[in-house]
Amino acid sequence: MSANILEIENLGVTFSTESGDVPAVRGVSLHVRPGETLALVGESGSGKSTVALAAMGLLPGNARASGRASVDGTDVIGAAEAELTGLRGRTVSMVFQEPATALDPLTRIGAQIAEVVRNHRPVSARDAASSAVELLDRVGIPDPERRASAYPFQLSGGQRQRVVIAMAIANAPGLLIADEPTTALDVTVQAEILDLLRALAADSGTGVLLVTHNMGVVADFADRVAVMLEGEVVETGPVEEVLLRPSHEYTKRLLGAVPRLAVAGAGGGAEPRLAAAAGGTVPQPADAKSRRGVPETTAVAGAPAEAPVVELHDVSVRFGRGPRAVRALQDVSLTLRAGETLGLVGESGSGKSTAARVALGLVQPASGSVSLFGTGLGRARGRKRRALLAGVGVVLQDPVASLDARMSVAECVAEPLRVHRRGMPAAERRARVAEVLERVRLPRELANRGPRELSGGQRQRVSLARALVLDPRLLVADEPTSALDVSVQQTVLDVIAELQAELGFACLFVSHDLAVVQQFAQRVVVMRAGRVEEEGATAATLTHPETDYTRRLIAAVPVPDPVLQRLRRTERQAALAAAGTEGRA
Amino acid sequence: MSAVLQTQAPTLELATGYRLSVRRFARNRLAVAGLVVVVLFLLFCFVGPLLYSTDQTHTHLTQVNLAPSGAHWLGTDAVGHDELGRLMFGGKTSLLVGLAAGLLATVIGTLWGAVAGYAGGWVDAVMMRVVDAGIAIPALFILLVVSAITTPDSLGLILILGLVSWLVPSRLVRAETLTLKSRDYVLTLRAIGGTHGRAIFRHILPNSVSTIVVAATFQVADAILLVAYVSYLGLGVQPPSTDWGGMLSAGLTAAYSGRWWLIVPPGLAIILVVCAFNAVGDGLRDAFDVRGRG
Amino acid sequence: METFLYLTRRVLQALVVILIVTVVVFCLLHALPGGPARGILGPQATAQQIAAFNHDQGLDRSLPVQYVYYLRTLLQGDLGTSYTLNEAVSQLIEQRLPKTLVLTVLSALVGLLLAIPLGMWQAVRRNKPVDYVVTTLSFVAYATPVYFLGLVLVLVFTQWLRWFPSQAPQGETLADVFAQPGALILPVVAGAASMVAVFSRYMRAATLENLQEDYVRTARAGGSRPRAILWQHVFRNSLTPVVAMLGYYVPVLFGGALVVEQLFNYPGMGLLFWSAAQSSDYPVLLGCVLVISVATVVGTLLADVVQRIIDPRVKAGRT
Repeated sequence: MSANILEIENLGVTFSTESGDVPAVRGVSLHVRPGETLALVGESGSGKSTVALAAMGLLPGNARASGRASVDGTDVIGAAEAELTGLRGRTVSMVFQEPATALDPLTRIGAQIAEVVRNHRPVSARDAASSAVELLDRVGIPDPERRASAYPFQLSGGQRQRVVIAMAIANAPGLLIADEPTTALDVTVQAEILDLLRALAADSGTGVLLVTHNMGVVADFADRVAVMLEGEVVETGPVEEVLLRPSHEYTKRLLGAVPRLAVAGAGGGAEPRLAAAAGGTVPQPADAKSRRGVPETTAVAGAPAEAPVVELHDVSVRFGRGPRAVRALQDVSLTLRAGETLGLVGESGSGKSTAARVALGLVQPASGSVSLFGTGLGRARGRKRRALLAGVGVVLQDPVASLDARMSVAECVAEPLRVHRRGMPAAERRARVAEVLERVRLPRELANRGPRELSGGQRQRVSLARALVLDPRLLVADEPTSALDVSVQQTVLDVIAELQAELGFACLFVSHDLAVVQQFAQRVVVMRAGRVEEEGATAATLTHPETDYTRRLIAAVPVPDPVLQRLRRTERQAALAAAGTEGRA
Repeated sequence: MSAVLQTQAPTLELATGYRLSVRRFARNRLAVAGLVVVVLFLLFCFVGPLLYSTDQTHTHLTQVNLAPSGAHWLGTDAVGHDELGRLMFGGKTSLLVGLAAGLLATVIGTLWGAVAGYAGGWVDAVMMRVVDAGIAIPALFILLVVSAITTPDSLGLILILGLVSWLVPSRLVRAETLTLKSRDYVLTLRAIGGTHGRAIFRHILPNSVSTIVVAATFQVADAILLVAYVSYLGLGVQPPSTDWGGMLSAGLTAAYSGRWWLIVPPGLAIILVVCAFNAVGDGLRDAFDVRGRG
Repeated sequence: METFLYLTRRVLQALVVILIVTVVVFCLLHALPGGPARGILGPQATAQQIAAFNHDQGLDRSLPVQYVYYLRTLLQGDLGTSYTLNEAVSQLIEQRLPKTLVLTVLSALVGLLLAIPLGMWQAVRRNKPVDYVVTTLSFVAYATPVYFLGLVLVLVFTQWLRWFPSQAPQGETLADVFAQPGALILPVVAGAASMVAVFSRYMRAATLENLQEDYVRTARAGGSRPRAILWQHVFRNSLTPVVAMLGYYVPVLFGGALVVEQLFNYPGMGLLFWSAAQSSDYPVLLGCVLVISVATVVGTLLADVVQRIIDPRVKAGRT
């Protein structure tokens, strides 16, 4: 019997695409021992998912693989489909990133699990159905008998991922491959799913290949780590070694770029425990303001008498009508003062983006009032409204969708000028565009390119340039970096912070990432299910939250330090175990 | 499978944009063949008469119903017109009316769909019920009623065909508009106070071009087919003018008496041209990667 | 409750559509040479008769008022009287509609039964010879005018091979129609041809799209065999959008029936309509348009309801 459940030697994968051959993976060698978790980390395009698919024999038709990959002693590369079919679901299983699409929408979940059971075990349909119910129970789906006959759309994202996991463990495989299993989930759900996977793997001695970009998840879950860059493994080692004492330049850079959540000491002390163990590569922000370098004077200059830049007062928003209407916001009030940065955090469905859209006038509130710069937005019409909106800049999440691919970068950036300064001479406009592009640190030559020729980080900086071209007093940034890799995210955040220090605009910063908000905002509003859960100065609120919900939210964020994370996990689980009673950290 | 490509391909794929579409189209053999057929037929009908001149206005009662021969390659019809010349002559009408009606339908449909989709709410609801009603009345039935009331000339025919066939493109463009109007760049424009006109004409319509072009190609194919039906229903252009559908229905009775040359050439011409336009549309749809008719 | 709400909304929508159809027919009525009076009294009516009729019927009133009158007569089931057949239009349609429904439903069934497996076969054998051959054939089938196809079928199967009669069944009742199944074959084939073409394309596209879906990868990762994945998952998921398209195809089926009935002399509504057009029998023409449109709206509604039955997501109002 082979000691390693997965053994990959000198794996190479090349995709033949319409624009020619693209090597995705080169000379990758790694192994997973039974009962051990190997995390394969890297940024998008590093080839980590391709390695995972190659190990399953699930590479798409336009991929060519070379080298060797064997699961429990059976070669996968070049194996016949029939042989792979016998292996998949029995010896090796996989959990995918997107629980929303991973299940057949028209088949009941019980039947989908039973199908995997019957693929490998000669049991009757009835027995398979009852094993499906048992499996649902094992993955923590409440009321499994009834839930087995539910369709995937009737489950939440986290529950769907549990179903996919149930399918994966149906035949007690020796190897579980998890490809970004929690990336599409909220942090609290992510913590639950990771707990589940860890427990299941420990129970049955299953080896896990965990593919992820999230260093916190790695710290939480992995025994060993392999770091991938551009199709090659650049560093391998035990998790403490790689995360705390990285040796490769790229790993150091990657870890340095990860925003770290400064948390209250695990022992309950008030002092934020700095993740200084990371080899000093990260200057840990004790105070968000000092790191961002926003001069104290900006806040002072924006005299207290001055009207707030944004004010939402008792705003409620409903989507749809009748009994199916969704209450997206309920009595939300928030205030953003001149020069200040307000972080709006919450999980999906909390209403944070809706609140930002209300402030922008894109969503009409059902009740309550919205004012920009002291003027009611609801009553402003025509020229007055346009004048008001001229003071607003917007950066939205998706770097692909936020720029019209049919325009050049210069045209994209110039659009607000065309809207609000119609008489501006072309030469002046060009000069202005060149100036802002320089401000966001984009080379002038990019002006005539199309957005498609730019990378994600460059595109978000073009969006930023567009937002700043009119010298706005308010920047609304809705998850501006959540689609970007960490190293790129850092650059974009730095540019925003620098320009804010220079130009003094106020910023409404919407994010699901507590660490980013902590680093970026002076004040924070935590939202939950359409309501404001709590608000306050970032430094205080995110280290010593007042409500249970915020506490749970913070506890669920994995920090990229295996030692610290282990402590946090134990605490979180203890708090969970003492459910109902007060679970203070 | 697609997820792997999505993480790696975009930069490569998007970088080449339109050139990639052209390349994809060129690789689709059926689509390229369709394009060649369309061009050949256009040459045949519009340049052909200059090289192969025939009299299509007067009857030649001395040479009716002649079988194909050296003098008349495709024979002659019941009033003595040379069939090959007639194929060019009739093809002019079929192609012109088909192209014009197809484009007219696309223009009407595009405007209707874009306005409905962008306006949303009850405006959209009312406009789309009108489209549903239009779809509910089968075009052939309306055309037959119109033919019972009046006999239009080519221009009238274009208008009528355009007015009965704009419904499908309007649905496609509406769907496209609904997607585009919630794109981040349109939201950003609206958030900074940009006008609706700017959103529609600078962003939504330019980005719907591929959908519209594909819809137009299918629309032209359908219009050419519809012209053929219209002649069969007796609403077509009047003699001595003709079109392929008119030639075909005129030759129907002759077919029973074995004069195949009166129906096979116009029949094949219609099939070939309609197939060709559909193949081009199919190729364009795959090349632009837009959704539309299957 | 959900289902009830959905059905109510959907039926209301259909009613609005039918209302718009009546407006269109009303406009056509006024576009008739001589106006509706001529249209209803017939070509022999004198000017005095027309004036008297116009006054009686309120046709000298404003158009909206007239429209209300028109709707009222429609609601009484009164579609007017045929000039040439001297019979109430509603009665004529009552006799003919079932036969047309038999023809269209049979064509649709035959068409779908051929198109769905063909489309799946093409998708599985994508870019292989089979795919190209079927694609080409469906292009040709789509591009062939029904009357040309019908003519070719008649020439080949009745003149040359003498397998089938060239006329469709002529009987008065539906039983008579089904008594001669052989005579139904050619009309049904002619009616189904373009449907096979269109729906095999839809099915091919839907299957190809579903083969790319994540759930196929999940099933493969669970060790399911390709054939099982195709039939247990991809087939049903691909069928749903195709059924949704069925509703939009109903008017095309009726349009085809118009030509097929005329070609094979099948005494359904298409033939009635056709002969009415030849004799400018306006009440019959407009009555048929109205009834066919209502039938189309009902057909679309049925397709929606069927889709709702097979797709649980639509039932919950999420698509």
